[in-house]
Amino acid sequence: MSVAALSGLHGFAVCGFRAWLCDYLDRGRYLIAVPGRAGPAANAVTVQSDPRAIVPPIALAAPFLTIRFTGQPLGSRRMFDKYEVDGLFDEMFEMPGKPRTHYSAVASRLGELGPAAFNRRVRMADVTFRNQGITFTVYNDQRGVEKIFPFDLIPRIVPANEWDIIERGLVQRITALNHFCHDVYHERRILKEKIIPADLILGAKMFRHEMSNVNVPRNTYIHICGTDLVRDRKGQYFVLEDNGRTPSGVSYVLENRGVMKRVFPGLFGAYRVRAIEDYPYNLLQCLKYAAPNRAEEPVIAVLTPGVYNSAYFEHSFLARQMGVELVEGRDLIVENSFVFMRTTAGLRRVDVIYRRVDDDFLDPLCFRPDSVLGVPGLMNAYRSGNVGLVNAVGTGVADDKAIYPFVPDMIKFYLGQDAILPNVPTYICAKDDDRKYVLENLDKLVVKSTNESGGYGMLMGHQAPAAERALFAEKIIADPRNFIAQPIVELSQHPSFVDDHFEGRRVDLRPYILYGEKVIVMPGGLTRVALRKGSLVVNSSQGGGSKDTWVLEEDEVKE
Amino acid sequence: MTTLAFPTVPKFSVHHAARPMMARDADAMYWMSRYVERAEHTARLLMVNATLLMDVGDLAPKFLREQWQGVLTILRSEAVPPGDAKLLGSRIAHHLTFNADNPNSMYTGLSRARENARAIRENISAEMWESINKLYWSIRGDDAVARFDDSPDDFYRQVMNDSMLFQGLTDQTMAHDQRWLFTQLGKYLERIDITCRAVETKFNILQQVKMETALRTIQWMAVLRSCCSIETYRRNHAGDMDPLRVISFILLERNFPRSVRYGVAMAHQALAAIRAETNPLAIDPGERILGRLSAQLEYAEPSEIAEVGVPDYMQKMQAQIAEVAVAVQKAYFLY
Repeated sequence: MSVAALSGLHGFAVCGFRAWLCDYLDRGRYLIAVPGRAGPAANAVTVQSDPRAIVPPIALAAPFLTIRFTGQPLGSRRMFDKYEVDGLFDEMFEMPGKPRTHYSAVASRLGELGPAAFNRRVRMADVTFRNQGITFTVYNDQRGVEKIFPFDLIPRIVPANEWDIIERGLVQRITALNHFCHDVYHERRILKEKIIPADLILGAKMFRHEMSNVNVPRNTYIHICGTDLVRDRKGQYFVLEDNGRTPSGVSYVLENRGVMKRVFPGLFGAYRVRAIEDYPYNLLQCLKYAAPNRAEEPVIAVLTPGVYNSAYFEHSFLARQMGVELVEGRDLIVENSFVFMRTTAGLRRVDVIYRRVDDDFLDPLCFRPDSVLGVPGLMNAYRSGNVGLVNAVGTGVADDKAIYPFVPDMIKFYLGQDAILPNVPTYICAKDDDRKYVLENLDKLVVKSTNESGGYGMLMGHQAPAAERALFAEKIIADPRNFIAQPIVELSQHPSFVDDHFEGRRVDLRPYILYGEKVIVMPGGLTRVALRKGSLVVNSSQGGGSKDTWVLEEDEVKE
Repeated sequence: MTTLAFPTVPKFSVHHAARPMMARDADAMYWMSRYVERAEHTARLLMVNATLLMDVGDLAPKFLREQWQGVLTILRSEAVPPGDAKLLGSRIAHHLTFNADNPNSMYTGLSRARENARAIRENISAEMWESINKLYWSIRGDDAVARFDDSPDDFYRQVMNDSMLFQGLTDQTMAHDQRWLFTQLGKYLERIDITCRAVETKFNILQQVKMETALRTIQWMAVLRSCCSIETYRRNHAGDMDPLRVISFILLERNFPRSVRYGVAMAHQALAAIRAETNPLAIDPGERILGRLSAQLEYAEPSEIAEVGVPDYMQKMQAQIAEVAVAVQKAYFLY
């Protein structure tokens, strides 16, 4: 076997290439996979006949392809033949060879397709992402590198009855979290009644004293929430964490759907998939609702840290979809406690800012003085009630990992209900008993730092070497407030395309909830996939990919 | 007969005031367009020069050097780097095409164009974004140098065509509002500037060198080609290659989008419209300069150019355009 790495094309001349490639692939002769799809092994093009015949055009056309000559016949093997369930909960299969009812149409169509045809679609999707500039930025050098968020083409399907529970659970949860935020910045009843230890809140880094007794528009703090859900071996849904500050990823949900419609139009035919395209409209309504009272046609802007931010694509995407301005800190100015943006015709008032800048960087006069991303005086305008900020300042207190274990208690306390979606059992290292248990059972637990996100600052106890566990034990003893621990949840798996067949990969689900005049849960969300075999970490910064997520209109599937 | 029924009387009007434009967006819009225009000219200049050198055959090293120095001057780059005269052309072509450290290379220009476009992605159409993105990857891609070495001509043609595709999409896929006006302003100011410098530089070279008439004719044809003007010129002047005619054509031709006169008139219109929208009562210094220049070119005679002298005339024009650019920046981008 010889391996030849060839480099070439970046998006240009793709049409010609695509046509050419399709030609070959349609004859079923070549197999092509794109790196980032599923580990290094997928980074290959398998060619079985005379290599000289195809090298020049591929060389012209594929920067990220490796060509491998195998000489083995491809062909009749079905892509699900070697599929294993491994005792996990599999989203698609009840047992090997037997798909769940709501997956049967997708499973049979994909099974018929064959690797060559599937690969052709993988290429199409990739080219689309690149040409449209649907990228995120990875900071491994000073300027950052734009990458395509790996997209796994097999859709994740959620039947209507399951979604109904998720939806009710999420509405309940965001409602309680908003009550909680209002409470801790006003009466602090939940602390006085000792439902949550006061020092846990008041000592939190994310607690903003500046927000105490500030009335925010509509008493809403978390307007937009992205809540991460996982399923265990039995298929039970759990909430893993809430993202109530500046949750990202929703643009990929919308773009993934667009690409799916383009490359797999046929698959949609067998289902009634609920539409998600109205999300930007709903978001806009939600932002308008957050305007201070006096604004009739509020002027809305999305505040981005700038073009080098990892989520810049999303900021720009949402501004474009809503038809509002995308601003940076330097475009805004505060005068007499009102916020204005600088236009070619002078200053123009801004009523609502959908800010994608963290609290810390929002206003150098109030928070970090070295911030150049923010707007001096913004907090003053906000506290005076002259501008709406979405999400409100100080919501970090609600999605703090140390507060997470108390959310079911919050739901009980504010709403008098039991939580519909359970939490993953959590040990709070700040509690003596819990800490003792955690330190004794580090090899069975996931330990998370409460101040980190994105899969950083985490210990996977069952996989980590003893030295790393010892290091974490020291850290926990030194600063117990900063850590929580959870039993390892064996996430559910879903078929992913690997090389030339399907294999199970772990997934989670992040739905997006809008808390405006109504509470709207987007029917779907970001299904993230851990593309490395056996990995439980789905974050994009840690090599995760994503899938289109279909919520079905009703249980029956059209035949 | 059925009529569409609306439940309420609509409260909005289509005759609303235009939405103000963010100063930073205007800045990026203007530069995006300017850099794309610049890439097109760079590609054409390099292509024309390479073809010209093939036409004139084996040249004395000194002349070859001067010929390339001319291109560098037009593109505001430094002096010819020393080295083997035979490889000079390819060295300079690479330097002006791919060198990321050269602020005037096509690579740098297109990177900046795309960077600006990315910063105002929500202000431009999806078609524009995709086209500029593809253009960018065509010169950034791993195989770009290889494609270039295969056929520089094809490579430059593609850049030119893609740049013009982008300009066309700009005209046809976005509203002709203030945002569009800034793209027009950027495009025409760049075009005037580079055209004037090309004429000035070529004129100076041809003044200095002794050359037979046939070669001179080829040289002046190259000037027209690098201004994308040869076909129209031939039609209008029956193929006569008299220098003053060529220069007058490039400067003063009516209704020809590549002439300086046309560019100045368009830039003037764009700036006047921007000013009327943003600040109806004020006087815009940039607009005043362009208006005056436009009138001057409208009524100019070739004899006046000859009287002032071509280099002086061209330099004055460039200085005024530079003044306009500064005035635009002061009035609309700096905040």
